[in-house]
Amino acid sequence: MKIMPCPLNGPRNISEFVHGGEVREMPNPISCTDREWAEYVFYSDNQAGIVTEWWLHAASGYWFIAERHTVTDEIIRTYDPSEIFKERVEFSAEPATEEVSA
Amino acid sequence: MTRLNAPMGLLIDRDQPLAFNFDGKPYQGFKGDSIASALAGNGRWLLSRSFKYHRPRGPLTMAGQDANTLIQLGKEPNVLADRELAENGIDVQGQNYNGSLDGDRDAILGHFSRFMPVGFYYRCFFKPMGVWDKWEGLIREKAGLGVLDLEFEPEYYDKAYLFHDVVVVGSGPAGLSAALKAADAGASVLLVEEQPILGGSLTYNRFDVAGSQADNLRADLVGRVEQHKNIEVLTRAACNGWFADNYLPVIQGKRMYKVRATECIVASGSFEQHVVFRNNDLPGVMMSSAASRLMKHYAVKPGNRAVVLTGNDDGYLTALELLDQGVQVAAVVDMRPAPESEQIASAVLSRGVQVLSGHTVYEALPTKGNKHVRAVDVRAITGRGEVASKGETFDCDLLCMSAGYMPVYQLLCQAGGQLKYDDDAAEFSLSKLPAQLRIAGSVNGIHSLEAVLADGERAAQQALQTLGLADGAAPAAVSCGRKVNFEWPIFSHPKGKDFVDFDEDLQAKDIVNATRLGYRDVQLVKRFSTVGMGPSQGRHSALPTARLVANATDRTVTETGVTTARPPFSPEKLAHVAGRIFDPYRRTAMHHRHNELGAKMMPAGNWQRPAFYGKAEQRDACMQAESQHVRNKVGVIDVSTLGGIELRGPDAAEFMNRIYTFAFLKQPVGKTRYAVLTNEHGVVIDDGVSCRLADEHFYVTATTSGVERVYREMMKWNAQWRLDVDITNVTSAFAAVNLAGPDSRKVLEKLATDVDLSPEGFPYLAYREGHVAGIPSRLLRVGFVGELGYEIHVPAHFGEALWDALMAAGEEFDIRPFGVETQRLLRLEKGHIIVSQDTDGMSHPGELALEWAISRKKPFFVGRRSVDIVMAQPQTRKLVGFTLPEGTKKPEEGHLVLEGDNISGNVTSCEFSPAVGAIIGLAYVGINQIEAGSQFPIRVDGGQMVQATVVDLPFFDPDNARQAL
Amino acid sequence: MSAITPESFSKRSFVYRQLSAASFTEVAGAAQAADLKNGRNQAMQAGLLDLSVLPRTGFRGLNAAAHLQAAGLPVPAKPNQASVADSGELVLRLSQKEFWVLGNLADEGARIDSLNQQPLPDSNCYPLYCQDSHAWLTLTGAHLPAIMAKVCGVDLREEAFPLGSIAQTSAARINVVIVNHQINGLPCFTVLCDSAAAEYLWECLLDAMGEFGGEVIGSGALS
Repeated sequence: MKIMPCPLNGPRNISEFVHGGEVREMPNPISCTDREWAEYVFYSDNQAGIVTEWWLHAASGYWFIAERHTVTDEIIRTYDPSEIFKERVEFSAEPATEEVSA
Repeated sequence: MTRLNAPMGLLIDRDQPLAFNFDGKPYQGFKGDSIASALAGNGRWLLSRSFKYHRPRGPLTMAGQDANTLIQLGKEPNVLADRELAENGIDVQGQNYNGSLDGDRDAILGHFSRFMPVGFYYRCFFKPMGVWDKWEGLIREKAGLGVLDLEFEPEYYDKAYLFHDVVVVGSGPAGLSAALKAADAGASVLLVEEQPILGGSLTYNRFDVAGSQADNLRADLVGRVEQHKNIEVLTRAACNGWFADNYLPVIQGKRMYKVRATECIVASGSFEQHVVFRNNDLPGVMMSSAASRLMKHYAVKPGNRAVVLTGNDDGYLTALELLDQGVQVAAVVDMRPAPESEQIASAVLSRGVQVLSGHTVYEALPTKGNKHVRAVDVRAITGRGEVASKGETFDCDLLCMSAGYMPVYQLLCQAGGQLKYDDDAAEFSLSKLPAQLRIAGSVNGIHSLEAVLADGERAAQQALQTLGLADGAAPAAVSCGRKVNFEWPIFSHPKGKDFVDFDEDLQAKDIVNATRLGYRDVQLVKRFSTVGMGPSQGRHSALPTARLVANATDRTVTETGVTTARPPFSPEKLAHVAGRIFDPYRRTAMHHRHNELGAKMMPAGNWQRPAFYGKAEQRDACMQAESQHVRNKVGVIDVSTLGGIELRGPDAAEFMNRIYTFAFLKQPVGKTRYAVLTNEHGVVIDDGVSCRLADEHFYVTATTSGVERVYREMMKWNAQWRLDVDITNVTSAFAAVNLAGPDSRKVLEKLATDVDLSPEGFPYLAYREGHVAGIPSRLLRVGFVGELGYEIHVPAHFGEALWDALMAAGEEFDIRPFGVETQRLLRLEKGHIIVSQDTDGMSHPGELALEWAISRKKPFFVGRRSVDIVMAQPQTRKLVGFTLPEGTKKPEEGHLVLEGDNISGNVTSCEFSPAVGAIIGLAYVGINQIEAGSQFPIRVDGGQMVQATVVDLPFFDPDNARQAL
Repeated sequence: MSAITPESFSKRSFVYRQLSAASFTEVAGAAQAADLKNGRNQAMQAGLLDLSVLPRTGFRGLNAAAHLQAAGLPVPAKPNQASVADSGELVLRLSQKEFWVLGNLADEGARIDSLNQQPLPDSNCYPLYCQDSHAWLTLTGAHLPAIMAKVCGVDLREEAFPLGSIAQTSAARINVVIVNHQINGLPCFTVLCDSAAAEYLWECLLDAMGEFGGEVIGSGALS
């Protein structure tokens, strides 16, 4: 069984973890086009190479980020999400634009 | 029963004789004997009948690596007689014969072999259509091995992890030296050995003319291993697979160890290979190593007069061992033009044994009925696979053969290792192994004893370097000048029976013919011919098959390769996989009370919940009685499984606002609010009730099956948003009941003395805290079942006491518990959806008439943009309520709704409602079928159609007056 | 003399029905299994003890460590470490900002109750519900790593999991917190699991202990 090095709990069987999908940047939900939003929601790069993914250590409820090579399945690095998400995220209060209902 | 003198017989205890039956006749043996060795000690060589032609078969490897020794042991079929210990009084039967093992009437099948060509089943029963049905019965009868006991009693099998720095697989000289080197440096080592004793080839093989080297070396190495505090030894243990990051299942007895090691050294050795010639499967024809094992392990004389057929110097050493144990050696037949070591060869010659170089056995001649070898026809080799037209016949009752060795590659190829064939060495070698998996000894192509020991140390030293325990520099590769494989040990005979694969009765021409039929890829050759599919999984057939296919298709052996090796390496029982599997269940604090009340329990995720109280066959009656009781009096249901999440901190309201569709910033303290959750696709994935306990404190419920996901999503979102909020899953911390019915207030009034329960003091949808029966409680006025009702949430430790108090206080009001199925009926009467029952992977809020629960005034909630997009599209379906007259055939969940010839939707909930007096249900219907009063067809069981009528929701108490009392 | 039974109290252990052979004493307003007629020798061999009714609490937030320090409790330096207070409480650090405090039998967890009475810091310190969300089972004796290896895929041998270590992991396929500690010199693995799965894990642990001669013990077997 594959071993995943958890930044909080150390190396553990992969069965202790839940995959949370690729780390993706959300387009501005107010101002992006329908197509941009659909791509964000539905499309996955699914690339052969290094991907950045969310992983949850279920027993400790700890989400972290892993860089993994999808061809070799090698886990290159794992780290706390605060390395990427440093700032409090705000959503603007502007009303949705008309294109939404187009 | 005569046995050889000690030191022969390493495994047996001559002081402990035993007796058992084989095929109805009594036999004797000693403790430590395998069934096969005990039988051989009695001169019994015929152990089984072959799979296809029912040919007599005897010991081939004496190491549990072939199918010749499969027997039926009591009720257990397909036991390897050369691995299973003989025990006093056991009853052993042969397998796969018609009549008796000695006089198998199906042996006649061998004469029809030309009518059963390669790919027989595949070709004969594929066309014409339906022919298989005619043949299946007969073929199943003939093709099965052994008899299964369907009345078996399950036994206890289990699993356990084992952790070590280094695991060494195989305890031959390479494994022993690797284990010692690693352990001496301070690593904790696990040494896994398939056989009952340590030493591998040192326990049976002769390495020198004098015949003392192996015993001395073994005594030294094994002695040190057994004394070593850093080494744990598992004998009679099979390492059956290699999985990522050195995770190895090791089966010993009734336990599967799940071994996890930082470093893994595979010193699995190599399998001796047979020579392909006519009748090479007769009892009495065996691997050289099998004869050696019979002598050294069991003190059994393998024959009286032997011929040794070899492709390397090891055959000469086998001849010396045979001579030392009183076996005449008629000849050593060496396929090579000359031996490698003059010293070894001359030692044999000096004992008066005839040596024929450049010769082979072309045919083994059988006794009557193919029961045993009686002589061999030896011919000069004239070319690749070709022999002289005349030869010399040697009488013998034993033929030892060795064409060379095949590395035991199975674990390594599972790990991604690749096999490469070296034409000069005529040997496969392994490369491209993952880091921290190493090989040593003959599996690594190292064959001379000194080099094997050095190779073990080399592998251990490399392992120690990753472990940070090495004291020296990286070691150099070890090499070995010996050549042990003969290039083409395949001598096809025009009359066949020159077996490549003993398990499947495949002859040399079968493999070649498969390639001629177009199956050029070795994988296809395997599937067409079944080569390597038998119990020995290509241990002996892979190498000759690769050579034959390469030759027939004009490719190199490397290009041809071998078929994929998959776990398990050796046969394993399903019990080993199934034994002690963990299947967690969760129980609420009130669980045992439900059982005492006769609840019919049902699973809800991994929870156990009461479906209703009563017998399974009285489901409908119980549910209707329970539901009427809630409508008319008072009922109580355990809702502890309901998810609970706490959100605390300055941003708690902001967080609620972003997660759920409704507006929560201004939710008043002391009030509840319905909360719907959509995912980023805009699909409704959960719902619950949000209670605001304080400005910065929310307690929100979630569905039983959804809470884990909801909690995880919340945590993940806030890892990105970084709001100042603490999120806690408190599901198990609270036990909860829903006390519902017109008399529920009266019951609660007896117990909750510090809460104003008046309609004004505690109105519908309010939240209060207080004590119920002295237990600190959270109280919610809810209306899920459409009656006056209170959810009471208490710390889980008090759950059972709360239940007891409510049942006691409710007695005078005739309180009655109700189950989940009843609750589903009650909420259905109110038209309330259950997320995941009435929703699917496409359900957006518009389809569920939940537009009212979506706030359009806030800038964001998860799924907001998708909800906007999908709800702006023309809607195609909608969830509606329907009724059917009582007595109509009741639709089930999932039954289809039709619109013309098309499927327009499906039923999601349906039940007979005593309160409405009709069958009621929820169904997705086409957007043109939603008008109240109109009818739509549902296809129920048996293809029958019923006409349902669309009605407005709810079905019961349309003004919702009862819940707001 | 009327015997104390678990049902004499409103607060009841999650596994009290597994303890029908025990005699009980009152601890923290509930019945604690005190004696199963096997004593300290059994505890030294292999014992399974239910301490679910014994008080425990937890705090999470940036100010949680300071809150415990102010209460005079020893705060472990790193996550997944445990420390022992002078008065016997176990302080578990489960992450940078999450702490659980397990009460001591000697004072029936009284210090936990007083800790819960202390005013919280003004911000960023939230009490947790581990008293009720988790059951508290303690394994004792000489074979702890071998017993756990039958249910858990983490290496809990002394070399890898020394005294004072914590593993948040999966045992018998449910989430658990395992703590390596001692009570009166007795080797202990405390296993905290979902209270709703307590009876399940109880069964699994007893099964795993079987080959080591494991039995259910009472709190009296600790001394």
